[in-house]
Amino acid sequence: MTAIPTLLVIILASFFLMRLAPGGPFDGERPLPPETQAALQTAYGLDKPLWEQAWLYISRLVQGDFGPSLVYRDFTVSELVAQGLPISLTLGGLAIILALLIGISAGLFAAVRAGQAADKTIMMLATVATALPTFVTGPALALLLGLWLGWLPVSGTGEGWSWLIMPVVALALPVSGAIAKLTRAGLATVLKQDHIRTARARGLPETKILFKHGLRPALVPVASYLGPAAAGLLTGAVVVETVFGLPGLGRYFVQGALNRDYPLVLGVVTLYAALIILFNLFADLIYGWLDPRMREG
Amino acid sequence: MSLYEIRDMAIEIDGKRLVEGVNITVEAGKCTAIIGASGSGKSLSCLTPFGLTPGEALGSIKLDGIELTRADAHQMHKARSQLTGFVFQQPLTALTPHLTIGAQLQEAAAQAGPPRLSRHELAQKLERVGLLRADERLDQFPHRLSGGERQRVMIAAAIAHRPKLLVADEPTSALDASLRGEIMALLDELRAEQGLAMLLVSHDLASVEGHSDDLIVMDQGWVVESGSTADIISNPQQDYTRRLMAATPRLTEPAPALPLVGERLMETEAVTVTFPRPGWRRGKIDAVVDASLNVAEGEAVAIVGGSGSGKSTLGRAIAGIGPLTSGTISWQGDILPERRARSLSMRRLIQPVFQDPVASLDPQWKVCDIVAEPLKNLRPDLLRADRDRIVENALNDVELSAAYLERFPTSLSGGQAQRVAIARAIIANPQLLVLDEATSALDPLVGSSILNLLAKLQQSNRLSILFITHDIASARRLCHRIVVLDEGRIVEMGDMAAVIDNPNADTTKRLIAAS
Repeated sequence: MTAIPTLLVIILASFFLMRLAPGGPFDGERPLPPETQAALQTAYGLDKPLWEQAWLYISRLVQGDFGPSLVYRDFTVSELVAQGLPISLTLGGLAIILALLIGISAGLFAAVRAGQAADKTIMMLATVATALPTFVTGPALALLLGLWLGWLPVSGTGEGWSWLIMPVVALALPVSGAIAKLTRAGLATVLKQDHIRTARARGLPETKILFKHGLRPALVPVASYLGPAAAGLLTGAVVVETVFGLPGLGRYFVQGALNRDYPLVLGVVTLYAALIILFNLFADLIYGWLDPRMREG
Repeated sequence: MSLYEIRDMAIEIDGKRLVEGVNITVEAGKCTAIIGASGSGKSLSCLTPFGLTPGEALGSIKLDGIELTRADAHQMHKARSQLTGFVFQQPLTALTPHLTIGAQLQEAAAQAGPPRLSRHELAQKLERVGLLRADERLDQFPHRLSGGERQRVMIAAAIAHRPKLLVADEPTSALDASLRGEIMALLDELRAEQGLAMLLVSHDLASVEGHSDDLIVMDQGWVVESGSTADIISNPQQDYTRRLMAATPRLTEPAPALPLVGERLMETEAVTVTFPRPGWRRGKIDAVVDASLNVAEGEAVAIVGGSGSGKSTLGRAIAGIGPLTSGTISWQGDILPERRARSLSMRRLIQPVFQDPVASLDPQWKVCDIVAEPLKNLRPDLLRADRDRIVENALNDVELSAAYLERFPTSLSGGQAQRVAIARAIIANPQLLVLDEATSALDPLVGSSILNLLAKLQQSNRLSILFITHDIASARRLCHRIVVLDEGRIVEMGDMAAVIDNPNADTTKRLIAAS
């Protein structure tokens, strides 16, 4: 229920913060004549008082109109977003699936070998994966698999799906490290609990105890991490799309910000915020499934 | 040959021998009980043979012809899943939280092999253990059930695959007195009906007496005494057994001499506490309704009731640490304001002690800091040296030496931790202690030593006590008067001896019968 006001606050905050930054969309290297400047300002409504502009923006947004791009003059923000969004969503979606797969299996593997060498190695690797930023892993992957080994394309979307591998891996890596640690810690707590002993007393095989009785409550911390993880993936995508030259949303975001393309930046921010809020709602639903006790306040 | 026979068992954990020389025999249709204080090795002795503790069992353990100490994976699987059913102490945590009752019961029944039970058959199994609306229960998650209901589900699951041996590890310790009797009666019935052999572990004599054929008394890893239950209880041979029996409060023991009662100190007038109902449905729960009672100087009053009767909520409201919806609490005629508006000297008057002694002490704090904390807040004028002296005296009062000052709560036993909690409560010189099930989580020997300590403080410090409990026999050792609570309302109130001799309310009769 708090989703709409949250979104509104984010939009308004970005709107006013962006206007605080010096410069404007029409400050080129060669200054435009004052009359042209003024004409452009009037055409895009930038001469109106700030609060009125904000009101206009929001009332158009409610009708699904993100406004025109100030820099890519022939396109509306909606058109630009429609081009970039599918690529970004594919990247982000695949990355979170990969991160969950790697993270949960690594965490499981380590938890059942608690205290052994395998456990310690995996947890160390997880720390490394979490600590390495995508702007390091991205170029490193590109150098190794793209330039030296020549197995995968270094840049652009190209043919088939092989271009997706490196950006998705680079994006997923830090998230998977964090998920592995959370899964490992969650299982370590749950496997000591009484209901696991009950399951064991029933003569169930260890794998069944682990998956049927242990895993679900152990994943509660992972579910709470999904919201922040989604935010991390979106910002990570900005870097990854730049590194691998992919025409996703991230690139428009960076260029829009540099060019003071107000509607473009606001459009992307709104979309990002909506996605993150959606993800948090989704995480809340997962809580209830993982542990029914949480369905009641 | 007996169904289950343990000869000369020893149990080691990490090479450390914790249990030695245990012999247990359980015949089909009979019940053998193990009794002892916490740390006596009784639970270890009954769960380790099945690989359910970190320990290793040595000696000879034969279950229906299988030698468990040398069992391979297949035999151990058969022993756990087909021959044996288990009931554990904590019904709250022993069921998997995210699986429905039906799913867990189905899993338990599946140990015997196919076919899967129909929904109707599952519901019948729940009805057999006395659950109402059994069909509805199948789709519920464990947290929706009360403690007693969950323990019934545990029992239904433990016998769903028709095992030959039922191992019950303190099945009633977490339940209130009247539920305790009901669950023990159910276990007796099922044992007779199915010819089950039962190995029962308990720390409380009431669950063992009349429910078991043979009795084993354990202390610190050794069997102290064993034989027929009736013989041991009527004529205990060992000093430890006698102490254990004497420690268990009974209504038949002679009435204790209680200190004289002074003027009226605390009085509640129509105290009501309501909580909003959880979930989306609007509404409220009346936890306590119109409770009026009073306590005089040097007087101990028992607030008695089953789980969910509102007794703890009432105690918390009086101590000023819980909500109070309406009504007043007054001290020597002056109305006490809500907690935040109480002055330091008012806060000093009433101090609480809680049920779980270890959980109510901060694990990061040393004992000396825990005990000194109320002084720091309530008597900021004191110098450090004076404070240290008072802390030492308080520990002395609860019969702990100064050596405990530097220790952390995790290195204390349950009884020692409860003594520290009492020291913390009495250090600021309160006039009324609110004890919320302060002895219920402790085994009888420790519980009775805490009761003795409280009686001593009651005499020497002229302390008034509100003793909240589900156990009338414990309350009788300390209290002048009794207040019986049921569903948030006071159903009976009066002189302890008079109420026990001639109870009026059904709740009181039930609680007395269960003691």
